[in-house]
Amino acid sequence: MNGVPLAAYIGLGMIMFTTGVVGVIIRRNPIVIFMCIELMLNSVNLTFLTFARYQMAARSSDALGMQNSLMAGQMMVIFVMAVAAAEVAVGLGIIMAIYRLRDSVDIDELNLLRG
Amino acid sequence: MNYESIWLVLLFPIVGFLIQAFLGTRIEKMFGRRALGAIAVLPIALSFAVGLMITLSTKGGPEESAKIATFGNWINAANLKIPFEFIVDPLSMTMVLIITGIGALIHLYATGYMSEEKDYARFFTYMNLFIASMLVLVLGANLVLLFVGWEGVGLCSYLLIGFWYKDIANAKAANKAFIVNRIGDWGLTLGLFLIVALLMKTNGMAGDGRFLSYDSMLPALKTGLQQNPGMATAIALLLFVGAAGKSAQFPLYLWLPDAMAGPTPVSALIHAATMVTSGVVLLNRMHIVFEMSPIASAIVCGIGAFTALFAALIAFGQTDIKKVLAYSTVSQLGFMFIACGAGAYWAGMFHVTTHAFFKALLFLGAGAVIHAMGHNQDMRNYGNLRKYLPITFWTMILGTLAICAVGIPGVFGFAGFYSKEAILGGALANTHAQIQGIQVGQIAGWVGLGVAALTSIYMTRLTCLTFLGSEERWRKIPVSHEHDHEDDTHHALDGNHTPKEVSPSMWIPLVVLAILSVGGGFVLANGGAFEKWLYPNELPVLGKISTEPNNIPLALYSTIAAVGGILLGLAFYLKGLPKNQGWNEAEWSPLRRAERDQFGFDRAMTVATVEGGGDIANGLWKWFDVGIVDGIVEGAGKVSGGIGMVLKRWQSGYIRLYALMMLLGFVSFIGYFAFVIKGGH
Amino acid sequence: MNQSIGGVAITPELLLFGAVAGAATLCAIGVVAFNNAIRSALCLVVNFFLLAFLYFTLNAEMLGITQVVVYTGAIMVLFLFVIMLLNLGGLSLLVERRDPKKYLGILLGCGMFVLLGSQLLPQLVSVNAKTLDPEMAKFGGPEAIGRTLFTTYVYPFEAVSILLLIGIVGSIMLAKRRI
Repeated sequence: MNGVPLAAYIGLGMIMFTTGVVGVIIRRNPIVIFMCIELMLNSVNLTFLTFARYQMAARSSDALGMQNSLMAGQMMVIFVMAVAAAEVAVGLGIIMAIYRLRDSVDIDELNLLRG
Repeated sequence: MNYESIWLVLLFPIVGFLIQAFLGTRIEKMFGRRALGAIAVLPIALSFAVGLMITLSTKGGPEESAKIATFGNWINAANLKIPFEFIVDPLSMTMVLIITGIGALIHLYATGYMSEEKDYARFFTYMNLFIASMLVLVLGANLVLLFVGWEGVGLCSYLLIGFWYKDIANAKAANKAFIVNRIGDWGLTLGLFLIVALLMKTNGMAGDGRFLSYDSMLPALKTGLQQNPGMATAIALLLFVGAAGKSAQFPLYLWLPDAMAGPTPVSALIHAATMVTSGVVLLNRMHIVFEMSPIASAIVCGIGAFTALFAALIAFGQTDIKKVLAYSTVSQLGFMFIACGAGAYWAGMFHVTTHAFFKALLFLGAGAVIHAMGHNQDMRNYGNLRKYLPITFWTMILGTLAICAVGIPGVFGFAGFYSKEAILGGALANTHAQIQGIQVGQIAGWVGLGVAALTSIYMTRLTCLTFLGSEERWRKIPVSHEHDHEDDTHHALDGNHTPKEVSPSMWIPLVVLAILSVGGGFVLANGGAFEKWLYPNELPVLGKISTEPNNIPLALYSTIAAVGGILLGLAFYLKGLPKNQGWNEAEWSPLRRAERDQFGFDRAMTVATVEGGGDIANGLWKWFDVGIVDGIVEGAGKVSGGIGMVLKRWQSGYIRLYALMMLLGFVSFIGYFAFVIKGGH
Repeated sequence: MNQSIGGVAITPELLLFGAVAGAATLCAIGVVAFNNAIRSALCLVVNFFLLAFLYFTLNAEMLGITQVVVYTGAIMVLFLFVIMLLNLGGLSLLVERRDPKKYLGILLGCGMFVLLGSQLLPQLVSVNAKTLDPEMAKFGGPEAIGRTLFTTYVYPFEAVSILLLIGIVGSIMLAKRRI
């Protein structure tokens, strides 16, 4: 969409990221915290793609450099998605295990790290 | 064979050591003890063969100087260069032949002696390593390589004395030997540093930097010491401290009698034939320093004479056959130092050689007796053993005659006759060793003559108590039935015991050594051959050293001393164990009891150093360690503990709080960058 | 339509983007604000769909489709499964307490947004996307992505595949009661 300035996409990414951060801090439900983390990851993905499309990383105007910068952002997004998938699988497994052990998943009760 | 093949001499024992160390137990399991013993003996014998070929190819003579074979660099620091270099000259080759020759015989003997031992491979690992270290000591062409060998033999001596380490007494004896040797090492290292300092000062940065290599050091030392005569005494005394430590001179002799805790072949090899002579080798190497300092020479001479007398007296109070021989060794080492102090360095080396023959023989013979008597070492349990151990008896007799220096002047003498003659002659004929007009060398010579007589007496005592007399005293020991035969290696000695002659692997070395003890001195002394070979040129400072004193019929005196001593000994001991030397030690005369206790010297030293040192260390520990160090350490711990107590309140365990803190930090950072840094522009 | 706000021309594209972005923001806030985890999850699904649409507007067609398939299709289903399984959907379970952290968190979050935004966004307002030539326009297609992924990025790709494998094994280990 040629008519949209870069600032709009980045602004949306920032809003989503901030929402995710706030969610992680204020929610007690670990599943919701997970969702907030996903939100943050997605906002980062959006930023990657935006910068790639807007050619911010291209040093020169030659075709190869442009193509490389276009692809680099997308590759990053693919890897982020894969890592997120693995993270969700393991993280939810951990939540299941904790629930089985303690019959509760309140994040404030998981304070074995207390000094 | 070219002198450059000297590395072969070193290689064989090292290879033997590595094989024993890493494959020893496996070989023992697969091929048996015989194979392992062969692998232990073979490298030493090969070394001997190579050493012999090299010696035969280097005809000694005034025009032939020492050859040095270099095998790469070792230390290369600024102006100091220390390569891996090995010297081939009469002195080093003499020692190589003694070490490998006697060593091979003792290894052969040990294959029999240790045959019932569990840790067969470990024993021969140490033995081969010892031979390798000793070879480095004598072959190293600079003082640092000598020091490497010096420490190597010290280590092996420690390991072998403590070979039966499960017995606390043996472990303590090993520790004692190691610690006393450290005192000597301290002297040697200080002497070494002093030499470097002196040469740096006088020679400056000139030369190729091989300050400590003999070929460049000894001439440089001569000029250097002529400019600083005081340094000669200092260096000589420090080197002598080192030599006294290794060669068991008073007051550092303490470790040698205790070292008898090791297996008998070890006593023969290390504590009689080779390692203890390394002090004499050092003095011979560095004789230029001693030539420059009459005072140091006098001290060497005096301590040698005192040690000879002191140890000979102590030998009378001992009932343990190995202890008698140990003090005899200390006494004979004293003779060697008398010679070195008087300037007759070759006589010292000559005595090293002959002593290696007969003392190794005596120790191995004693080992055979001990082996036959169920590892009982007390002479009061022996008697009439000539009936059971004929070969051991006759070889030991020859060894005893050799150490007693019996001989007919001008016709024939046993090995010790010639070397002792040279020592006493050298001491009486020279005036080098003197302090302010007091002729210490000559006094030492007369003392030595007396000690020679004492030697004859105590050696006769040993022979009589062990082999002669009709009484078989071990028959009196009641038969004990409670003895558990769990450990086959130590049979109990009781009335039913029948001593058996040892196996061929043990008596062959005895016979060879007996032949050497009889003929070795005669051959080597024939026409002054040994002196001409070892010191073809006159000494650089003292010039010609005479060993034939004028006006004194020394040969007559020493013959009288030797024969008279033997006759006196026979008169006392031929009838068997005298009543006042029996099991009841309260019946002993006060003098003999004092001798048994080393005149209280060992005890006094132990109290002074071990207990006194312990008290000092204890005080230091209480004041410095507990007070200051622990105070600092524990204080630091308490402070951080207190900080931790405060900080741990932040570790609430609330993950969301942590996240909040992270966010706070992040915002602060961004704020800092945005407003402070950017605002600064 | 040649009006402009703050130097930015109001174009139909911008209006469309505004609508989508607004909806996505609302959904994101919904994820955080709803007490019921199921509602949060549904908000997140919608948010992901809208993001997929935005990926399309950035010419990243392949990734838009992947977004729908992986996130909304797989990950969110996993979330819902776990919520159902643990029966965490109900209001009763985790009623949010009054907590100073909550207000502090919101405050700091807003602070972060304002700080970053004030530093970044003004410089990006004037940047517009270039029109891609037809050859370049294919960069978001499966062929271009596959070609790059299996040539230049093959090692990271393999590393990620191992990571996923470990993730699979790990989650099985965690989820099974007894192995």
